Amino acid sequence: MTDKAQVVIIGGGATGTGILRDLALRGISAVLVEQGDLAHGTSSRFHGLLHSGGRYAVKDKEAARECIEENLILCRIAPSCIEPIGGLFVEMQGDDPEYTEKWVSACAEAGINAEETDVQEVLKSNPALSSNITRAFKVPDCAVDGFRILWGNVNSARKHGAKVITYSKVTKIHQENGSVTGVELLNKLTGEKKTIECEMVVNAAGAWAGEVAAMVGLEVNVIKDKGTLLAFNHRMMNKIVNRLRPPGDGDIFVPHGTITILGTTSQTVDSADANKPERQEVLDLLKIGKEMVPEIENFRLVRAFAGVRPLYQPGSSATGRSVSRGFALLDHQQMDGLNGFVSIVGGKFTTFRLMAERTADLVAEKLAVDAPCRTAQEPLTDPVPEELLKRGKKVFGIPGAKKAAERLGDDFARVIEEAEQNAEKRQVFCECEMVSRAEIDFVARDEDCHTLGDIRRKTRMGMGTCQGTFCGYRTLGALNKYEKFARSHREYLSVFLQKRWKGIRPVLWGQQLREAQLALGIYCSLFGMERMK
Amino acid sequence: MMNKKADVLVIGAGLSGLMAAAKAVEQGKKVLLVAKGMGALGLSSGCIDLWGYDIDQPDQVCSRPLQEIDKLIQVNPHHPYARVRDVLEESLDFFRKICAENGSPYLENEGGNWLLPTALGTMRPTYLVPASMAVKSLEEADKILVVGFKGLKDFYPDVLVANLQRNAELKPSCKLEPVLVEVGSEELKPAALAHRLERGEIIDKIVQQVKPLLSPGAVVLFPPVLGSSGGAGMAGRLADELGCPVYEVSNIPPALPGDRLQKTLLHHLKTRGVEVIIGSTVTTAHLEGNRCVKVTVRCLSGTMTISARVFVLATGSFLGGGLEADIEGIKESIFNLPVQIGAEEWSVQEFLDLKGQPFNKFGIAVNDHLQPVDESGQVLVKNLMVTGANLAGCNYPIEKCGNGVALATGYKAGKLVEVVHGE
Ligand SMILES: Cc1cc2nc3c(=O)[nH]c(=O)nc-3n(C[C@H](O)[C@H](O)[C@H](O)COP(=O)(O)OP(=O)(O)OC[C@H]3O[C@@H](n4cnc5c(N)ncnc54)[C@H](O)[C@@H]3O)c2cc1C
Ligand SMILES: Cc1cc2nc3c(=O)[nH]c(=O)nc-3n(C[C@H](O)[C@H](O)[C@H](O)COP(=O)(O)OP(=O)(O)OC[C@H]3O[C@@H](n4cnc5c(N)ncnc54)[C@H](O)[C@@H]3O)c2cc1C
Repeated sequence: MTDKAQVVIIGGGATGTGILRDLALRGISAVLVEQGDLAHGTSSRFHGLLHSGGRYAVKDKEAARECIEENLILCRIAPSCIEPIGGLFVEMQGDDPEYTEKWVSACAEAGINAEETDVQEVLKSNPALSSNITRAFKVPDCAVDGFRILWGNVNSARKHGAKVITYSKVTKIHQENGSVTGVELLNKLTGEKKTIECEMVVNAAGAWAGEVAAMVGLEVNVIKDKGTLLAFNHRMMNKIVNRLRPPGDGDIFVPHGTITILGTTSQTVDSADANKPERQEVLDLLKIGKEMVPEIENFRLVRAFAGVRPLYQPGSSATGRSVSRGFALLDHQQMDGLNGFVSIVGGKFTTFRLMAERTADLVAEKLAVDAPCRTAQEPLTDPVPEELLKRGKKVFGIPGAKKAAERLGDDFARVIEEAEQNAEKRQVFCECEMVSRAEIDFVARDEDCHTLGDIRRKTRMGMGTCQGTFCGYRTLGALNKYEKFARSHREYLSVFLQKRWKGIRPVLWGQQLREAQLALGIYCSLFGMERMK
Repeated sequence: MMNKKADVLVIGAGLSGLMAAAKAVEQGKKVLLVAKGMGALGLSSGCIDLWGYDIDQPDQVCSRPLQEIDKLIQVNPHHPYARVRDVLEESLDFFRKICAENGSPYLENEGGNWLLPTALGTMRPTYLVPASMAVKSLEEADKILVVGFKGLKDFYPDVLVANLQRNAELKPSCKLEPVLVEVGSEELKPAALAHRLERGEIIDKIVQQVKPLLSPGAVVLFPPVLGSSGGAGMAGRLADELGCPVYEVSNIPPALPGDRLQKTLLHHLKTRGVEVIIGSTVTTAHLEGNRCVKVTVRCLSGTMTISARVFVLATGSFLGGGLEADIEGIKESIFNLPVQIGAEEWSVQEFLDLKGQPFNKFGIAVNDHLQPVDESGQVLVKNLMVTGANLAGCNYPIEKCGNGVALATGYKAGKLVEVVHGE
């Protein structure tokens, strides 16, 4: 089977989906190919901090400026994906006061509004924080929901004719006479192969960018830097809290809704798939975190998870590199003489839109399309109308409706309709995240949905304290009527439980150990699933 | 501060604590039972697992669990069963007698394992089962009708059917059919549904919807909601009305059969004069030499102490609260007894590993009198016995022996109160 498009984008993370939307809004036909589910890579394994730029102010002013500019743009175009809770930078006893002064002036230069605030006030409204804080500054940091931004990009791109192919890995990039002509895909679910003919290929494969470039015999030097994060089942503070010192491990707490994420570690790894958190990393993080939150052991840890940062390191032939120290747009025609191939590497989640804009500018220029970037102005998601929220509250309750509205955006109306028509669908399948059967049912039908993990990423089912013990089983009850979920329940459930286990194992003590014993009681004692066929 | 006195103080209201109290009171002792919560029994299927699979062929359901346990003790002398082999049969008889007397008979399958369907559609081996769950000869059924309720979460007939086909040995011609009956429009909770059934309100509705789907040789499977008290009453009544066998299958909590068993045993204790205090936590033990004289208890009204001549520690594993783990390590929560962890990691990479997760085996080492001992076998607290999931050496979720170990060790502790006190 052969498809055609002007551009193929490799990588369904923030960067790739951002490019897809940008190209689609310019009227360029594009297909995005992702080897897993959307957000399979680093874009679902990060801290969820929409940086104000404060963290980079001293070391990299350019990156800091990009952050604050993008931060303001995203707050404007995607308010439903962002909690504008603000951040704090705190200096603690023993931290270098001179660094603080340097940081204050660096923020001013980068255009970051950092305002000193009364330490006593900070401690009063954030009692979990250490009283060893000596100074505190407010910055416009925000918490961002990476999944929602990604779905937002994709939904908007689809409305403008773009296509997304998931669970397909690009295995070959075809070229003829020095020009890219298409890509070959391997469907990971069916084993089928397929070709897409195209004029250009954009390599937005994040930590995998080196492997993708190698398919056309080129070298893109990406350092794979693993970072581990901890999720606590409490909102430990009301604002994002950064340690005011040269950036290091474990010095940022980001509250998201009812949980808090602490991170991160940093370690060079060989493979972009090396995302298994280790117990030692957890212990290290807790030790550093304890300096800012002395009672950290008393907060319930739900799981650990890790992602791999793509850090770009220019090779010897650094010509053609442009734009910024934070990320690099590589024009391989200029650098290596290969027409129609560009790589976008490095960067941060916060700057994905800017990275996409620069990439799409280059692509448009090469395709001789004269259309400006619109992603800084066009809203990414439409706000949920009050009237709809009211209807939602009737079927899902107040907190359930709010959460569902945030997750579903434009699709909320259809899910409400189903729940209105069928009382059974109002059942809450995931109590921790308040996900209804209607929502799970709706998402399961989505063409990109093939596993319980996909449903989890799209609904948050299984992300709470029970880590899927109850809702994993319930979800089977919703899947069974769809033919596409034709594989065995054993497979769906055991893969799902195993993935959850990977994050629980490094934090296996206290409540999570009790929770694990309960889960084994259910799946082995009650269901005998270890021997299930 | 209030002080209470008893001959025997049992700490824990799980199966092992209930059994210890039942056996101790039978010997004329003044027995007090204190528990902070209800333990694992109410989460369980209510069936008593004894030993599930062949030791040599861990995929084969074992046909003679008692004999397999003899073999087990040879290869693993540290398993809790090795401490109670002498009383195993009599403990099972004692249990069955109490249950029968209180109207909730438990059935044995001629010395072998039952192989019972679960809500997931798997087949699990177990040893003693309430009459309402004792599915006989599924392999001879011509039709299996799986009945769920519209509005009842956690039971999906089509899931059960899909998996039963792969997991059970059925007649090739056997028809499986899922059906959802409607008994009201609102969301149904298992306990509320059981009450309504018991009040007879919805039986007609169910029969009306189910009966037309039956054919000769049919067996009907229900979620475990057929009545809130023990006995086969409701399942039996439905069977009469439908004219074919009706059973409940095990399901995830909140499932009623475990709950029913707990109620039955608690009721039994009350009729025998055992004082039961639930919702109170034993916080500390007070020792004189190597004997415990009393414990401090935190209850709703503050704190009190309880003195006794013999103590039974039936506080369960991590889930029950008998063991507590933090980043540094694991401790026993009341007496600070040494916890056997072994050299292994706490967990293994595969969640559903056939060898089981090591942490389930962690617990207290005891001698043949169930007294806690140190590495050299020295008794640590003379008038204390440890029972159930709190004991070291058993991986119940994989071995299928959770309630069996709890039952037998609890029974033995109750039986030995006099002996241990005299030591
Ligand atoms: C621990 C950690 C914390 C972080 N915290 C923050 C933060 O708080 N704020 C912030 O702004 N940034 C943060 N970052 C950085 C940020 O997460 C990443 O820079 C960003 O998510 C990268 O997005 P991406 O789209 O470039 O890569 P990815 O999200 O990794 O997307 C690349 C995709 O390409 C796919 N792919 C690869 N090869 C192929 C192939 N051959 N065929 C098909 N598909 C392929 C992969 O499956 C993957 O999904 C953090 C990073 C880490 C590791
Ligand atoms: C979900 C699940 C399903 C299961 N299904 C089955 C099954 O179908 N068949 C089977 O045979 N086994 C099953 N098991 C295993 C079995 O239920 C347990 O192994 C067994 O019941 C343990 O009993 P116990 O009395 O030792 O401990 P528990 O039942 O855990 O009881 C411990 C008691 O001690 C109390 N306690 C703890 N600390 C204190 C304190 N400090 N002060 C006062 N009280 C305290 C607790 O509140 C509780 O009452 C299952 C287990 C689980 C988790």
